[in-house]
Amino acid sequence: MTKVYKDLREFLATLEEEGQLVRIKEEVMPEPDIGAAGRAAANIENSPAILFEKVNGYNYSLVTNVHGSWRNHALMLGLAKDTPTKEQFFELNRRWDKFPVPPKILAREEALCKENVITENINLFDILPLYRINEQDGGFFLSKASVISGDPEFPEDLNKLNVGIYRMQVKDVDRLAIQPMPVHDIAIQLAKAEEKDEPLPVAIALGVNPLVTFMASTPVAYDQNEYEFVGALQDGVPCEIVKADTCDHLYVPAHAEVIIEGYIIPRKRFVEGPFGEFPGSYSGCRKQCEIQITRITHRTNPIFENLYIGMPWTETDYLVGLNTSIPLYKQIKATMPEVVAVNAMYTHGIGVIISTKVRYGGYGKGVAFRLLSTPHGMPYSKIVIIVDEYVDPFNLEQVMWALTTRVKPSKDVVVIPNCSGMVLDPSSNPAGMHDKLIIDATTPVAPEPNPRSCEMLVPSSATPKWEEILRQLQHAAQKK
Amino acid sequence: MKCPRCDSEKVRIMTKSPVGDAWEIYVCDHCCYSWRSTENIQISEIFKLNDEKIANMGIIPPIPPLKK
Repeated sequence: MTKVYKDLREFLATLEEEGQLVRIKEEVMPEPDIGAAGRAAANIENSPAILFEKVNGYNYSLVTNVHGSWRNHALMLGLAKDTPTKEQFFELNRRWDKFPVPPKILAREEALCKENVITENINLFDILPLYRINEQDGGFFLSKASVISGDPEFPEDLNKLNVGIYRMQVKDVDRLAIQPMPVHDIAIQLAKAEEKDEPLPVAIALGVNPLVTFMASTPVAYDQNEYEFVGALQDGVPCEIVKADTCDHLYVPAHAEVIIEGYIIPRKRFVEGPFGEFPGSYSGCRKQCEIQITRITHRTNPIFENLYIGMPWTETDYLVGLNTSIPLYKQIKATMPEVVAVNAMYTHGIGVIISTKVRYGGYGKGVAFRLLSTPHGMPYSKIVIIVDEYVDPFNLEQVMWALTTRVKPSKDVVVIPNCSGMVLDPSSNPAGMHDKLIIDATTPVAPEPNPRSCEMLVPSSATPKWEEILRQLQHAAQKK
Repeated sequence: MKCPRCDSEKVRIMTKSPVGDAWEIYVCDHCCYSWRSTENIQISEIFKLNDEKIANMGIIPPIPPLKK
């Protein structure tokens, strides 16, 4: 049975047992230490989670880089830590089909997130060791908070309950900014509330089961419940949730470290930013929404979980790599079963590599068009590379081989001007508009002519045996 | 005290460290910048703000018309 983590603490214990969590026992300064360590972790291969036990001036501990390597990602799925990325992709794809698995709703007294309650003199700094992530950020940000909101028109419809991660700037001891972009699900809900000049109730969960964070950062359909996906990815084990204290139709992860409850103030916008973003550059200042906090519940000795974000690769890229790839794969595969795998791991799907069988001439470009008409691919994907079915799109050496040996630029490289684009991509101008680049690196098939035949090298059938011999010899040599 | 980003004097103490007398957090009520007393703040020229920049900022998401 798949290993399932009830909460963040169980996952941290596993990471520590596997050598994928390190503790910083000495006191650190909020700035520059925590942001700098986050960047440093991103620079290291197979980097561990970092638990800061003591932060100057604060009460509690902080953990970062929890999802920050393929090893940690594999352990999140209950797999062996050295599981290759492509295998993780196919395991996720298998579990995805178990959706929906209804969540288990716990009684309030069973939920550890309710251990302590704060309703007066709310001060985020009392609970969370907040810090500036990157030097030019406009303040202190929550970069890994799961925001739960409902549809004001259908409050009881749990399928329309949204769990999403949005950047949140601390604006005061009891005020948070939130960035709902128009493409985000919560923006649909906010618009419905603001049309009536009503507040939109929200709950914010910090320090949760790692698969809740994973699903909160996954682009699923508006009427698909993220908690039902968590159950699917737990191989059928339901996700445990509990009703929020201040809103009857919001449900939060039952064993979160901290739950912040409140509402988005309607029809008001306030200066927010800048913030170092996932393309590796700062977004500028804009006027955005703010949340008034009315209640905090938290576990005893809460652990604040946050992430470093900046020039890829960082924890963000591990967190959103495969969960961006799988929905795109599902959507394209539904009408193009020849597609083998989708790697949409580059800057949140701005760069995508797809391997496919080519059923007839021009099919590779057709696969690219299909990607560019999906809900995520349309605004995000800009550079699309299509390779043959035997090329592993997660192996960049193989992809480069396909580019260097299969592409005739005059016919295989296409630019489509003036399409939808990703606002935070600094090369998008005006922000939100962009060109699309398609590189078809598949081998031509009829009716497209392929004037030069190409006889592929076939490895000897003894190659796997020799791979094993060499691996064992190398392992023995390293032990000496 | 002046805001290091917009030079406004509408600066106040947002909070103090919950443990010891380690630091204070300041916030500018004009441009919303916040910082800690222990930081060495150096704001890049491109991120400095004035009234004109604040007035012309983009709004995300747009505020929809009221429904009657």
